Amino acid sequence: MKRYAYYLSCINESMTKEVDRSIDLWQKDLGLELVKLHETTCCGGSNLDYVSPKHFALVNGRNIALAEKMGLDLVVSCNTCLMTIRTAKKKLDESPELKKEVNELLKKEGLEYRGTSEVRHLLWVLVDDVGLDTIRKKVTVPLTKYRIAPFYGCHILRPSKVLGHDNPLEPSSLDQLIEALGGKTIPFEHKNRCCGFHTLLVAEEESLNVAGEALAEAIEAKADFIVTPCPLCHTVLDGYQSKALKQAQIESSIPVFHLSEMVGLALGYTAKQLGIKRHMVS
Amino acid sequence: MTVSIDQQQEPKRDVTFRVFRFNPQVDSKSYFDDYTISVERGITVLRSLNYIKEHVDASLSFRAFCQAGICGSCAMRVNGLSKLACTAQVWDELAKCREPGIIKVEPLRSLPMIKDLIVDMDPLVSKMTHYSNWIDSTMPEAEMGRKEFLISEEEFERYDKATDCILCASCVSECSILRANKEYVSPAVLLKSYRMNVDSRDSIHDLRLSELVKDHGVWDCTHCYRCQESCVKSIPIMEAIHGIREDAIASRGAKDTSGAKHAEAFMEDIEKKGKLVEATLPIRTNGIVWTLKNLLPMAVKMIMKRRTPPPPPLVKSSKGIKIFRTMFREMSEHVKEDQKSHKK
Repeated sequence: MKRYAYYLSCINESMTKEVDRSIDLWQKDLGLELVKLHETTCCGGSNLDYVSPKHFALVNGRNIALAEKMGLDLVVSCNTCLMTIRTAKKKLDESPELKKEVNELLKKEGLEYRGTSEVRHLLWVLVDDVGLDTIRKKVTVPLTKYRIAPFYGCHILRPSKVLGHDNPLEPSSLDQLIEALGGKTIPFEHKNRCCGFHTLLVAEEESLNVAGEALAEAIEAKADFIVTPCPLCHTVLDGYQSKALKQAQIESSIPVFHLSEMVGLALGYTAKQLGIKRHMVS
Repeated sequence: MTVSIDQQQEPKRDVTFRVFRFNPQVDSKSYFDDYTISVERGITVLRSLNYIKEHVDASLSFRAFCQAGICGSCAMRVNGLSKLACTAQVWDELAKCREPGIIKVEPLRSLPMIKDLIVDMDPLVSKMTHYSNWIDSTMPEAEMGRKEFLISEEEFERYDKATDCILCASCVSECSILRANKEYVSPAVLLKSYRMNVDSRDSIHDLRLSELVKDHGVWDCTHCYRCQESCVKSIPIMEAIHGIREDAIASRGAKDTSGAKHAEAFMEDIEKKGKLVEATLPIRTNGIVWTLKNLLPMAVKMIMKRRTPPPPPLVKSSKGIKIFRTMFREMSEHVKEDQKSHKK
């Protein structure tokens, strides 16, 4: 078993519960043990960093320190949580004064941020640690009949100085995973583009334009579904799909799956077990 | 000029440049022309375009001046990414081609087309004017030329990187929101605005900030980081955007916007529960009327799918929230102290 500390993202605890539920179904099948950290708090969702840079460092220094206490890497399944926590890690690692200030406070809880645990996306763990060969061997229902549009989302790619796993211009890890699960990826211009999530409540029309473009491309390319490693991208592309396509005057629809659901399907779990029926677009 | 042995031995290669063409006076729609020329290692995309213009097709139009990555005039999309043609090496680009051996060259996005690879920069200049992208000096005119403005190194560091911008508009071309709405302020203008607003010699900070927090301003950025990633001078543009937002939240007069309210909700919720209370986020951002009008139909569907976020009392606090809260509040004291000493 490969053990990791698992970060609970706010959205996966509320709107996209199917993400963690589906991971729970198959983690053992792939030799993974993801230990949920119930003490972690919201990362600040790429907002806290400018509202209060110091609280941002404290909150995420603590989130990482909780994993460090267990001697485990921290695994995240939301792109924005990933980018946010990694940004805080970079800031703490680069500033001894900030680290000291944060650690003074963390002492109260018997914690210390040392910088020893990595912060990684579940997708990276699947591709790099579990390995594509192992995954290939575990597949019971290969996704052979599906043409899949991989939508990476921004915060697993950019800023590349913080993320650094995939080439932000030509990302490939999700494509590789799809192929390992027996599926076929389609060429998808929007694979590394934005979903518009972070302005949904502030500039909805713009956000829906951004999402609409991605959906339109996948529909036009006749993809069977879009898959994304980010629950925020999923919320826009699935939850707001009807609004976005209406704004773009497109009368069609396309299912959007979470990465965790796609893996589950290939490992033989049903759509119902995986929570796919909870999606807004079926 | 000395030519390295490596360059001498490198054979020339036939490279095809697939160039976007459009002359609004003649063409009803745009098209691509293929120019295949022999290129050796070390040649840039701009030199190739110059060669094509001189020897193959004089009608091809593009803008270029310094040819050395300084003036910013030759920004265009090469193999899909906005960059300077004068610093883009053909050999590097060959490795990125979708179709082997074919380098695609297109004009920047999100700016009006003039001809071929030339776009109209006027909308960008108008925005820079609108957002007062200049220093309006605090020094009385009578003292100008007689007195020096002394700037601390600490202050200079805050805008040092931002002053590297050469206005090539690559970030403008790559921006997700500008593509969705041409009215959006745009990353280059946010960067310049930030640079002016943190300069102690400037006197119109409040005026500039009050424009930046309006519609189509700083809060419309969707944090996609494409601007920063494509910046030809590696300027951390998002830090500047975040800098403006931090400033807006700290300034009393600039706080009453949905963007600021949305951002501050994260701070409140983390302190209170450790978790984001998503159910009330739309109301706290935009008020009840907006929420009912915009989200009610969707909420009904979400309830049926059991997809609605839990109401605030049902959002479970993070484990160990009490001790977390004391740390969080103590950090608030640190921040207050910092602000006090900063004011001194």
